[in-house]
Amino acid sequence: MKRTGSQLAGAFALCFFAAAPALADVEFYQSVDRDQVGLEDSFHLSIVASGAPEDAQIQFPSSSDFEVLSRSQSTQMSYQLGGSGASFNRTQKFVLVMRAKKVGTLILPSAVMTASGKTYRTEPLKITVKPGRVPGPIAGRPKRGAQIPDPFRGFPFPDEPVGSDELDPEESIPFRGPREEADVFLRASVDKQEVYAGDQVTLSLHILSRVDVSGVDSVTLPKLDGFWSEDIESPTQLSGEQKLINGVPYRAFLLKRLALFPVKPGALKISSAEADITTGFIFTGRRVHRLSNELTVQAKPLPPGAASGFSSSSIGKWKLSAEVSQAQVELGQPVTVKVSLEGRGNLKNIALPPLRGPAGLRIYDPTTTDKLTPSRGRIAGKRTQEYLVMPQQTGTFTFSALSLPYFDPQTERYEEATAEPVSLVVITGKGGAIAMGGDRSQLPSEPKNILPSGGVRPLRYHASFRGEQEPIWRAAFFLPSLVGPPALWLGLILIGLVRNRLNQQDEKSVRRRRTRAAHRRLARADALKASGTSQAFYAEVEKALREFLEVRLGVSVVGLTRTALSERLNRAGVSDEQRVRILQVLDACDQARFAPGGDGGQQDWVLEQVQTVMDCWKQKK
Amino acid sequence: MIHLVWLSLLSQSYYTPQEAQEIFSRAGEAYYREDYAAAKQEYLKLLSHGFGGSDVLYNLGTACLNHGELGDAVLYLERARRLEGNSSDIEANLTIAKSRQLDQVLGSSEDPFVERLANAIRERAIGIAFVVAWGFGFLTLSLSRFFSRRPRLLGRTMAIAFFTLALANGGLLMIRAYVRRTHTDGVVTAKTVQAREFPQDAGKVSFEIHSGLKVRVLESSGKYLRLRLPNGLEGWAQAEGISII
Repeated sequence: MKRTGSQLAGAFALCFFAAAPALADVEFYQSVDRDQVGLEDSFHLSIVASGAPEDAQIQFPSSSDFEVLSRSQSTQMSYQLGGSGASFNRTQKFVLVMRAKKVGTLILPSAVMTASGKTYRTEPLKITVKPGRVPGPIAGRPKRGAQIPDPFRGFPFPDEPVGSDELDPEESIPFRGPREEADVFLRASVDKQEVYAGDQVTLSLHILSRVDVSGVDSVTLPKLDGFWSEDIESPTQLSGEQKLINGVPYRAFLLKRLALFPVKPGALKISSAEADITTGFIFTGRRVHRLSNELTVQAKPLPPGAASGFSSSSIGKWKLSAEVSQAQVELGQPVTVKVSLEGRGNLKNIALPPLRGPAGLRIYDPTTTDKLTPSRGRIAGKRTQEYLVMPQQTGTFTFSALSLPYFDPQTERYEEATAEPVSLVVITGKGGAIAMGGDRSQLPSEPKNILPSGGVRPLRYHASFRGEQEPIWRAAFFLPSLVGPPALWLGLILIGLVRNRLNQQDEKSVRRRRTRAAHRRLARADALKASGTSQAFYAEVEKALREFLEVRLGVSVVGLTRTALSERLNRAGVSDEQRVRILQVLDACDQARFAPGGDGGQQDWVLEQVQTVMDCWKQKK
Repeated sequence: MIHLVWLSLLSQSYYTPQEAQEIFSRAGEAYYREDYAAAKQEYLKLLSHGFGGSDVLYNLGTACLNHGELGDAVLYLERARRLEGNSSDIEANLTIAKSRQLDQVLGSSEDPFVERLANAIRERAIGIAFVVAWGFGFLTLSLSRFFSRRPRLLGRTMAIAFFTLALANGGLLMIRAYVRRTHTDGVVTAKTVQAREFPQDAGKVSFEIHSGLKVRVLESSGKYLRLRLPNGLEGWAQAEGISII
């Protein structure tokens, strides 16, 4: 803060006061700001010593019924020219913040001042203490204590509302601060004490003074933990305006006006600001150090129901727009896309939605410009992000629609600022004319329609729905399919083996079968004996005997002469009697077939002979 | 009345194939509107009603990938690959998802050949090919018995060809079955998962892994799983941050 007062004037005044001849009359008194307090309340005890010498010793009232919470001191010097010459008066004021320890009517003892061998005592004060809290003193009510006019009475803060035409809207908040200090004090105020987190609170820092202020320096702004702050107004020169506070005219000098944005919900404290203020002019100037009052802002959490993509910094009232510098561009020529957010709120902390476009457009990082236009103490403005876009493919491309969900603290609703999607048509470049006979390799390369690989592959358009499937080897058909074919094959092999086995004919079985056949023929011949012709009978007997002989001899006997047959029989060990019998039967059969007419007795004989041959051979065997 | 209530409940919990196809299309439209969250919800709805399959899983994984949910993206794409085998679009999107993964596993070698082979196999197709070749092999072998000399030779030659085919497919199927039985893979779906030295909350944290990393699950103990990273690094991590593929 630039100091606007003069150091030289202060130095001169000090020299002048040092040469002053005498002190004025001594006044010593004490007063309290209220006569009824609660046990949880604090009150202010003011002890004023006026005209006391510099070596005056002041003893504050001491009582076990009260405790002193804090203590402050101020000194005021005044210079007066009168008929008796020049005189100056020194007034010291001590303010003790106290609290009662018990309920009842308590006596605050006298304060004692010893100066130049004299002892001064103030009047004791009676205070009624009640449990809990008791509302503060009513505006304009006279304070209890000494009836001597109090130069600081009703000061520095108003106890009654100030007309709206006298103070800014934010200053209409009732202010509770220390009721002490002098004719000049520092005052911090906010326009709202309860806001949503992220919404603006305006903090104003004023010097209120009943005396002339010639300068201010060493201004220390309050600690603003939990706030994002933006400067709204910082006057370079002190410019006062008249204000009427509690019926007392003041000059109000704006030191600073800040826009504060709570970054988190909860009770957020604004600590005291400090400043060194120089009042008066050459001879009466003095420099005082002042602390402002502390403030608390209650930041409310945002209500539920925020849309997806909402950021807690998006508080205010916003309008989003997007525009492209040209709707049609040649391939390889850049265009600019501006995304603008305009409105009221913490512009510098808000994040614009990023511009997204199709793969055929290369979008570079944007440049951001902010234009703050505070209006009536509210931060507002426009943030613009300019994207450089380089088309890499031909076609019509549309940038994604942009949206910014935000919370409007005025309507207490979530809103959404949207910007319509913007389109860009990219056409092929016209290309330059090729000079005849020129070197084609020297021509500048034309922009190409770049078709890059990679990127996320698109979705599948058709779906074949299937649930989570078991492995195929656990499917019901798998095991039968695995075991069935070899089992079938093995079965076929087995059946083949059995069939082969069944179809296999050995010599013994053939002989047995043919023997049985010979016996069957003989039985059939026996049947023919009665019903059939003799030729058929003898033919059947001959076949039966021949078949029997073939089985026994192992050779075919058809076509053998009698001699050859006899020889075979002989070789087979057939007895002579049997051999004769066989030959006789064969002869009889031949005779009956070629010379029919034999009687029935011959047939019986033949049958008997053949039967005998077969039986004997079986017995022989 | 009770019947009406039951019918109402059934109609709410069951989709006809046409309804399922409509939801699938709706999810695709939401995806192309860049409303990836809505697309994901629609695909999950299909899955929860039994309308799964590699197409739904692939689309779901792709939607998650665009929505920035890396863990879910890798999980569903891996599940799609497990059902379908290697497919170019699945592999491409998986590659992109893995490139966005935070963890860089140093010293990790490529998966063993057997695992890569098993992952590449289309299980159902290979299984059916095996069954068919196996059956036809025995059929031709059996029929050749009934033919005369030359057709019999031809039949036996065909049977040998079928058996060779069946043997190859059966071998692949066995590899697949072996890998499925002995290997359990998971994907980190939580944002950050701490891997501890032993399966207790008091265990010292060895390392942290992040969403989208594919890990081998070796065993479980209580709420912890023993994980192995592709480079052999092992640790115990809480199961709730890991989804089994």
